[in-house]
Amino acid sequence: MKTSRRIRRMTRHKRVLPKLPLTSLMDVFTILVFFLMVNQSSVEVLQQPRQITLPESVVEEKPRETVVILVGKDEVLVQGVPVARIADIQAAGNAEIEPIGARLAELSESVIGLSTQAVAESQEVTVLADKSIPFSVLKKILATCTARGYTRVSLAVVQKSGQTV
Amino acid sequence: MEMTTFLNLMVVLVPFLLITVVFSRITIAELDLPSAESTSPTAPTFRVEVVVREAGLEIMDGAQVITAIPKTGDAYDLPKLSEYLVAIKGQYPEKVDASVLLEPDIQYDHLIQIMDTVRSVEVQEGGQTNRTDLFTAISIGDAP
Repeated sequence: MKTSRRIRRMTRHKRVLPKLPLTSLMDVFTILVFFLMVNQSSVEVLQQPRQITLPESVVEEKPRETVVILVGKDEVLVQGVPVARIADIQAAGNAEIEPIGARLAELSESVIGLSTQAVAESQEVTVLADKSIPFSVLKKILATCTARGYTRVSLAVVQKSGQTV
Repeated sequence: MEMTTFLNLMVVLVPFLLITVVFSRITIAELDLPSAESTSPTAPTFRVEVVVREAGLEIMDGAQVITAIPKTGDAYDLPKLSEYLVAIKGQYPEKVDASVLLEPDIQYDHLIQIMDTVRSVEVQEGGQTNRTDLFTAISIGDAP
């Protein structure tokens, strides 16, 4: 008698307890997953390098698979290999920087895998430059690129959230 | 209905996608550089040139200076530049190319900001801001 009353009480109590709203939870998760997956689909070609700060801009074009020239505060890296120093570039009198040119020529010759082939055939350069470098350095680097046949040059920037100018 | 397995999948997927989300996205600004071989023999009649100097900005039409915009305080007066460029675009609606000419010591950051200003302008339209293209093919060069 005692237990049966308890059981009855428990069942009554259970009926009052609301069921966990699984359906709405599922809705939220499904929407979240799709939203994140759509965001995900744009594969990042370039990673933001730690040692330099890129300038901000409002342009919306996506980076492509190209030769990457990273212009840091003291060094210039072409496809991850340090080739020249900023101080040397500033001191150089002529418009072309020989080591950068040599490295670019080497890149278009040495094709190993599919990704390097894509890079070499694009004949395109993306310049990731620190926001503080003077224009004279940038100009010499760009002049070197165009002289070596890399005529399409893009400047990498961090996307700004459109509202401010 | 058996939802628990599906829910498990979701619970795993959501944190995984969340940690791989990239918040600062890198984009690129394309330059319209003249290649070394192809030099156009016919000089164009009108060119839009923005000259960036230490002291301020100048707008040139290829031959002479149209307007000079001095710096306001320590920064370039970009709103005013934008105003003038909109006026030029109104006169020559088909023109899409422009040049940004810089002195050697101008910082890269200023170049990008001025390129942004030359490329497009923000238009206020009934509470919402739209971007309108001005001169999208930008080349850069030395200040005369």
